[in-house]
Amino acid sequence: MIESISIALEQPKHEPPTGWRRYFGFSTDHKVIGIQYLVTSFAFFLIGGLLSMVMRAELITPESDLLDRSLYNSMFTMHGTIMIFLWIFPSLVGLANYLVPLMIGARDMAFPRLNAVAFWLVPVFGILLMASFFLPGGTAQAGWWSYPPVSTQNPTGNLITGEAVWILAIAISGVSSIMGAVNFVTTIVRMRAPGMTYFRMPAYVWAVLSAQLIQLAALPALTAGAVMLLFDIVAGTAFFDPERGGNPVLFQHFFWFYSHPAVYVMALPAFGIFSEILPVYARKPLFGYRVVAVSSLLISVVSVLVWVHHMYASGTPGWMRMLFMFSTMLVAVPTGVKVFAWVATVWRGKLRLDTPMLFCLGAIMMFVFAGITGVMLASVPVDIHVNNTYFVVGHFHYIVYGTITMAMFAALYHWFPKITGRMYYEGLGKLHFVLAFVGTNLCFLPMHLAGLHGMVRRVSSYDPEFAFSNVLASLGGFLLGMSTLPFILNMVGAWVQGKPAPDNPWRAIGLEWMVSSPPPVENFEELPIVISGPYGYGKSEPLVSNEAALKPH
Amino acid sequence: MDSSITSEQSIQPALADVAHDHEAHDHAGNSMFGFIVFLLSESVIFLSFFAGYAMIKLTTPDWLPPGVEGLEVSAPTINTIVLVSSSFVIYFAERALKQNKLVQFRLLWLLTMAMGTYFLVGQAIEWRGLQFGLTTGIYGGLFYLLTGFHGLHVLIGILLQGLMLGRSLIPNNYANGHVGVDETSLFWHFVDVIWIVLFCLIYLWQ
Amino acid sequence: MNVKTISLLVVLVSLSLLASLWMGQQAYTWLPPQASAESKLVDDLFSFLVVLGSFIFLGITGTLLYTMLTQQASRFDLSDGPPIEGSVTLEVVWTVIPVLLVFWIAGYSYQVYQQMAIRGPMDIVHMHMGTPSAYAAAADAEPIEEIDVLAKQWSWAFHYPQQNVTTSELHLPVDRRVRLSMTSEDVIHGFYIPAFRLKQDILPKRTIEFEFTPVREGKYRLDDSQFSGTYFAVMQADVLVESPEHYSQWLTTVAKGDRVPAVNSAYTEYNTRQEKGIRPGWPTIKPAAPPLVNQG
Ligand code: HEA
Ligand code: HEA
Ligand code: CUA
Ligand SMILES: [Cu+2]
Repeated sequence: MIESISIALEQPKHEPPTGWRRYFGFSTDHKVIGIQYLVTSFAFFLIGGLLSMVMRAELITPESDLLDRSLYNSMFTMHGTIMIFLWIFPSLVGLANYLVPLMIGARDMAFPRLNAVAFWLVPVFGILLMASFFLPGGTAQAGWWSYPPVSTQNPTGNLITGEAVWILAIAISGVSSIMGAVNFVTTIVRMRAPGMTYFRMPAYVWAVLSAQLIQLAALPALTAGAVMLLFDIVAGTAFFDPERGGNPVLFQHFFWFYSHPAVYVMALPAFGIFSEILPVYARKPLFGYRVVAVSSLLISVVSVLVWVHHMYASGTPGWMRMLFMFSTMLVAVPTGVKVFAWVATVWRGKLRLDTPMLFCLGAIMMFVFAGITGVMLASVPVDIHVNNTYFVVGHFHYIVYGTITMAMFAALYHWFPKITGRMYYEGLGKLHFVLAFVGTNLCFLPMHLAGLHGMVRRVSSYDPEFAFSNVLASLGGFLLGMSTLPFILNMVGAWVQGKPAPDNPWRAIGLEWMVSSPPPVENFEELPIVISGPYGYGKSEPLVSNEAALKPH
Repeated sequence: MDSSITSEQSIQPALADVAHDHEAHDHAGNSMFGFIVFLLSESVIFLSFFAGYAMIKLTTPDWLPPGVEGLEVSAPTINTIVLVSSSFVIYFAERALKQNKLVQFRLLWLLTMAMGTYFLVGQAIEWRGLQFGLTTGIYGGLFYLLTGFHGLHVLIGILLQGLMLGRSLIPNNYANGHVGVDETSLFWHFVDVIWIVLFCLIYLWQ
Repeated sequence: MNVKTISLLVVLVSLSLLASLWMGQQAYTWLPPQASAESKLVDDLFSFLVVLGSFIFLGITGTLLYTMLTQQASRFDLSDGPPIEGSVTLEVVWTVIPVLLVFWIAGYSYQVYQQMAIRGPMDIVHMHMGTPSAYAAAADAEPIEEIDVLAKQWSWAFHYPQQNVTTSELHLPVDRRVRLSMTSEDVIHGFYIPAFRLKQDILPKRTIEFEFTPVREGKYRLDDSQFSGTYFAVMQADVLVESPEHYSQWLTTVAKGDRVPAVNSAYTEYNTRQEKGIRPGWPTIKPAAPPLVNQG
């Protein structure tokens, strides 16, 4: 750690870009790293999505006919793991990598080399995880929670099992995330441009800061649990083995102490994206900026106090159930503040329904829906019925796909001209939105119904009474799969031969829009001197006092 | 109205100076800040282990493995005293460096390393004398996990100290500051504090 | 605000309220039959949450859709909207109302939870700060039917201690409090009967007590609700709620039957695959031998 920091100390020499090649090497430019993250994670999104297509194909009929049951179990385990650790996390980190230094007026992250190392760990553990498909015992099959004792059962008796590889991959992912978090927090606290006070930072930066603080505070608990689980598997310890006095529920506490806050690590940057994009396309300042900014921090704080809501049925005592029910529901308050602020931002605006705006508005609607089903889940008596059913699966896909992935698409469209210097194709973008919006609802809405009727999750066969919801869900799922095609076409096509983009195609206010598209390696010729808050739409205050000096003369 | 403009104008040249100064980023300061953030996060791993230890100890009926009476406290106490004192030694080493007394620094620094090594050796001797192993029930697992994970940190601390000692032989290495030494020293204090908690939890609370 | 906008608002709010109430009624049709006393409580709570949720959802999406439809800028209009930065009143209102709603929802859920008194959760496990005796209320007076539940990979067995009967179907008398003592032999399983709205994890090496009252005769399904490995999906059992006479008659008949291995889907499926040599999957834990049950 010290070593990598002190290496990072030696000022990296920024070499001039050497074309597309630099994206495949050990670059320390935060913009290159950001793009590396985005592209890598999108590749894994396709793989994770492919696995979900296989699951939906199996589930289109009630019988277990397409796959062996052990393979199905491996599908959802790997799907969940890939989507969370190799799609949502790295893609959001990638976006933050690209944007945060630009938005706060810095030339790079605080520790550029550490940043590059953190990125390169992602393909490493991604490939490691994929490699477990070739093990004789197969991949991990205990779900993305890896609850013992199921996860410590080892039918092949081999030392290197899919589960062991899974834990190793998660551990590397954790190291990478901690490196990233240290870097982001240091950058945001210490590298802001002159005049960029905390309350002049864009709400997105606040959201990233809050999310990274969660990583620092909660991720080590998962590391601790994973270390103990690994010992149980490979060294024969008894931490979680009830036969020998261990306590499997302890693992659940470790897991959820991290993995609940982790959902806000994923959600907060998405909220930040909404706060950033809505003002641009509504031509109005973000409503209640300070409150929105601070509510991110509040959400982080409350989020580490609610984890037991995943364990109501695990044999938690009554007082614990009630306590955590209440704390969980409290999260609705700071989150609601944000939602209302977004609505008020759009209200009476001069709306432009370009692709990024459509994705944002669609995502907010689906988020409200998911939040409401979340509050239902928080209610202990209701959760006792729907826990571990498709109602939960429906709830969280409305967030992880309907909200976060959609927000990610919004961000990719919105900043595409900045990142590539090209304009994307608006028509294809709108087509993508329509397919994704319809697909998400068609796929994940019927799941709620199946869950309420009692369809358990993680099953490869189910009772015929659930067939109808599942056929709808599968069709919706396939539609979702199709919806990525116009997106890929759009991105690749526009990057190769799109119309050149001006520096600020959306007439947006923000430091990143004051430099060229794409920005030069050093970002700013001269560091900006910030003299007013963000989102000055409708006002004629300049954001910086030296705008002309930011770009090379 | 007028006055506000003038005050703004008077601030701006000052800010502009900062902006022009490309090299103004305080790299050493960033490094120290980042390191502190990292240590805070690292302490959560220990906290999780401690919480797990306490929870299992409180809820397990047959806590100690059969035939085990408990841990001997006197030798570990001496070990503890040595480790905790080394925190003071390293502090004086750091101070000597700041006063540019390189030789004194190296001596005190070596003493710290020696004390750390003494601790590790003591720990190893204790481990060898115990009548339970890593896989002896949940107690054995937790004992070795906690002491082992801490011991690993001590080892890393000593290695870092060795690195810094080596660097001190490079002429003028510390002319531009000594974050590396400051960070190593901070890490050492951290490892000490963790040990004190660990000692109370495992040896005193039996 | 003039009279016209106010009355328009009132109309809109009442309309969404009506729609939400209607959704609340629909909510009952999204659920399985109410076969336990607890299910009625849960369903009412759920319906209430649906009303509240629909109202919030309609309010927010309605406003957004209205804005999207009516407030688009024309292509050549490059002006900005009004620079409204916030409003303390509004912000206080939309903080306080959700806080009140949260208290309401949590309070109601707490009440329902107390009335359910399913007790189940272990008392031994954690350092408890005062055991809430209120949860265990209700039942003491009535006669209680005690049944042992044994879960293993991947079968259910039900043991009626008084008659020393073991079965692979769960028979229950209607309108009588039932107390289950549940144990698992290997991994964590979950006891879940959707028609009862009840679920409880079963932890190995621990006995977990669980109580409820079936109120509707019929045949229902019991699922394993906590992922338990390869054949998790087929770890199901039938639950038969019968009139007390029927129930005791069944018990006496069955008590005379011989003990034979139960029919078990996981076991059968595994063995057929082994025999036919179908192995495109990965190695799996072998299903435990089916429990010995009294022939009915
Ligand atoms: C990634 C993002 C994400 C987010 C942001 C959330 C947000 C929330 N989640 Fe969700 N959740 C998941 C991802 C997420 N969740 C995942 C992945 C799982 C399952 C993991 C697994 O089992 O595999 C899960 C599971 C899960 C459970 C466990 C269910 C079970 O297993 O039995 C619960 C229970 O309480 C829950 C609750 C909530 C609540 C209360 C919120 C709240 O934060 C929502 C707050 C938002 C709103 C309420 C809407 C806006 C607010 C207003 C408009 C104000 C007014 C509203 C009211 C007063 C109600 N979630
Ligand atoms: C975090 C993000 C995330 C995302 C984005 C998704 C996206 C999707 N998920 Fe995911 N899901 C999880 C996280 C996520 N999921 C988690 C954590 C679980 C729980 C796992 C567990 O229980 O342990 C889960 C579980 C889960 C289940 C439940 C399985 C079960 O319990 O038995 C289902 C079932 O339908 C499902 C479906 C889908 C579908 C259809 C999509 C769609 O949105 C995906 C759309 C697909 C694409 C966009 C890709 C299209 C690509 C192609 C068509 C081919 C590409 C070509 C090549 C690769 C060459 N998911
Ligand atoms: Cu510890 Cu519940
Ligand atoms: Cu959660």
